[in-house]
Amino acid sequence: MGEPPPLVALDDVSVVFRTRSGLFRSSALRAVDGVSLAVTRGETLALVGESGSGKTTLGRVSLRLVAATWGRVSFDGRDVTDVAEEQLGWLRRRAQIVFQDPFSSLNPYMRVAELVGEPLLIDGVRSRQERLERVHRALEAVDLVPAARAAAKYPTAMSGGQRQRVGIARALVRDPEYIVADEPVSMIDASSRIDILDLLRGLQLRRGVAFLYITHDIASARHFADRIAVMHRGAVVELGDAGAVIDRPVHPYTRALIAAVPEPDPANRHRRRAVGGADGADGDFRVVEGCPHGPLPGGRRPVLLDMPGDPGHFVACHVMSAAGATAPG
Amino acid sequence: MALLEVDDLHLHYAAGDRVVRAVDGVSFVIAGKGEAVGVVGESGSGKSSLANAVMRLLPKGVARFDGSIRLNGRDLTTLSDEAYRREIRWRRIAMVFQGALNVLNPVIRVGDQIAEPLLLDDRVEKRAARARVEGLLERVGLSAAFYGRYPHELSGGQKQRVVIATALVHDPDLLILDEPTSALDVSVQAQIMNLLKDLKEDPGISMLFITHDIGLASDLCDTIAVAYAGEHVEYGPADRVLLEPRHPYTQRLLASLPRLHGAERPRAMPGEPPDATALPLGCRFHPRCPYRFDACDRHPPALPIAADGHARCWLNDREVAGERFETHLPALAVRGG
Ligand SMILES: Nc1ncnc2c1ncn2[C@@H]1O[C@H](COP(=O)(O)OP(=O)(O)OP(=O)(O)O)[C@@H](O)[C@H]1O
Ligand SMILES: Nc1ncnc2c1ncn2[C@@H]1O[C@H](COP(=O)(O)OP(=O)(O)O)[C@@H](O)[C@H]1O
Ligand code: SF4
Ligand SMILES: [Mg+2]
Ligand SMILES: [Mg+2]
Repeated sequence: MGEPPPLVALDDVSVVFRTRSGLFRSSALRAVDGVSLAVTRGETLALVGESGSGKTTLGRVSLRLVAATWGRVSFDGRDVTDVAEEQLGWLRRRAQIVFQDPFSSLNPYMRVAELVGEPLLIDGVRSRQERLERVHRALEAVDLVPAARAAAKYPTAMSGGQRQRVGIARALVRDPEYIVADEPVSMIDASSRIDILDLLRGLQLRRGVAFLYITHDIASARHFADRIAVMHRGAVVELGDAGAVIDRPVHPYTRALIAAVPEPDPANRHRRRAVGGADGADGDFRVVEGCPHGPLPGGRRPVLLDMPGDPGHFVACHVMSAAGATAPG
Repeated sequence: MALLEVDDLHLHYAAGDRVVRAVDGVSFVIAGKGEAVGVVGESGSGKSSLANAVMRLLPKGVARFDGSIRLNGRDLTTLSDEAYRREIRWRRIAMVFQGALNVLNPVIRVGDQIAEPLLLDDRVEKRAARARVEGLLERVGLSAAFYGRYPHELSGGQKQRVVIATALVHDPDLLILDEPTSALDVSVQAQIMNLLKDLKEDPGISMLFITHDIGLASDLCDTIAVAYAGEHVEYGPADRVLLEPRHPYTQRLLASLPRLHGAERPRAMPGEPPDATALPLGCRFHPRCPYRFDACDRHPPALPIAADGHARCWLNDREVAGERFETHLPALAVRGG
């Protein structure tokens, strides 16, 4: 009622891709399937799940970079589901994306100054002086200092971690309120990842930027996100505070993801790990590997329900709903 | 007699008028059947170069290549290139290259790609080769029906299984795996790791497993070597290295990994990786080392730890370290300390 709207809200959003599989045949792939999710101002929400589960598509639909086939998308209380691209300039400034691959997402022929300043040119910031100042501020915010020296470099002369900082500076230069960070560290050496994640966390805590942190690495989500949403075949199957999801996972798929983490502790070595999704398995949501209750009967997906006694921790599971979990709201 | 004994191996490259010491005095042992040694290190620490040195697949511009490599007691260093190619490479020692997913030929059926070396090198009958490949496909967790598929019809994990089958075609004793899961997501990674654990058991393949993720190395390997700037700065049984690291770099590597449980936050590795063409004098880790002291401007030797390990850090020398031996060394075992 009196509550401010969430920064980003997805309401029962589905994204269906039509893929041509022959001259006359085409098939439909439901990459996102009935997801309702809100990103609160200034929070980091981690989106975890295996390859193909729909994380990137969900991130892109939240930015209106792909259209929702069904459902509504809104930003700061404004419905953007059907707004024409020409009318979305304001959203393009206030919401940004950071890509996974710092090696191919930056044009190797442009200097850092041009790469980071390019969004400002697009926004029509005419004054060279203003662009330069804002580029330097963004570079300083990502610890590429001295900024003047970093600005003169080419990305090819930088390490993976430094290039990713350039990618983040490019997103930051518009002073956004929301950033989708799509596997921002998966291409970077394990030992350099924390630097980048600390940087993103700092931007969130100090500047109040909200993040959708997309990752395969559920252990990093524990430390760098406030909440975790687990995606399985297009749907969010578990959602809650980071600690609750990892310490008290309920959904068998969440459990499998956690068991797949090879933690370097002697007690955890040489174990066969439960794994979600068999290699090349089709996208049948009724099959949840490792679920002790077997395939779901019928054609309905279970909906996200609040766990009894654990408010804010939601699970989509038929067994839970039979056990008295309740729908939110 | 150990399966593989590598002693004081060097592989240096000429880079203009500088030298890159990619492998610089590396020693390790793979004791026997089904044993895995993991090499863990940041990008540029010399992991792939070590693998290429053991395979004797050397690029142009090698400035130095020496040391000893013994396989089942036999000195491979003295073998001619021709004998190496005929008897050792792919036959006794095989390798899965970094980024190997992309090297499958898109227009050849994967079964034929696996069979190719059999048909080339042996007087193997086509039918026998096919049966062998079908067996291998099953061994790596695919079905014989995959023989006729093309690479684009496979998922990333399935492709990596095909690549592993290719390496197994001659029944090698030792399989070198260079970051075999870095292009795969966690679930598929766990599947490939399960497969490697199986192959270790049966048929008992020994492995040199290269990764930048110490968690993965600990999952599979009996022994861990930590690579830094061309050297193995720490080496020993995995349990010991994980619980009682004796090199500050190992400690920082362990502290930088996010843990699922436990309150410690992961901590960033201090400083920047070294410039390969201008390595720091003395201990190569000293510019980043929180424990450095006056001795560290001398280059530390591989100081023995128990009977089966070593660390290149002066803290392990009681005389040089003085009271630090009692205070700092135990502190390395404290995560985040
Ligand atoms: N433009 C598109 N056209 C057709 N199918 C698509 C398109 N984009 C994504 N898909 C499909 O939608 C599904 C979800 O893809 P998405 O990229 O969102 O997954 P993801 O969870 O981000 O995976 P990864 O972890 O590999 O990045 C996949 O099956 C993918 O092949
Ligand atoms: N063919 C080559 N010529 C010159 N330098 C090389 C060559 N291959 C690798 N290097 C250098 O050797 C060092 C070790 O590289 P590499 O063995 O690939 O490390 P890693 O596999 O640990 O990332 C790096 O500094 C790299 O740039
Ligand atoms: S030798 Fe010195 S600088 Fe090197 S790791 Fe040991 S304490 Fe640190
Ligand atoms: Mg993705
Ligand atoms: Mg390498």
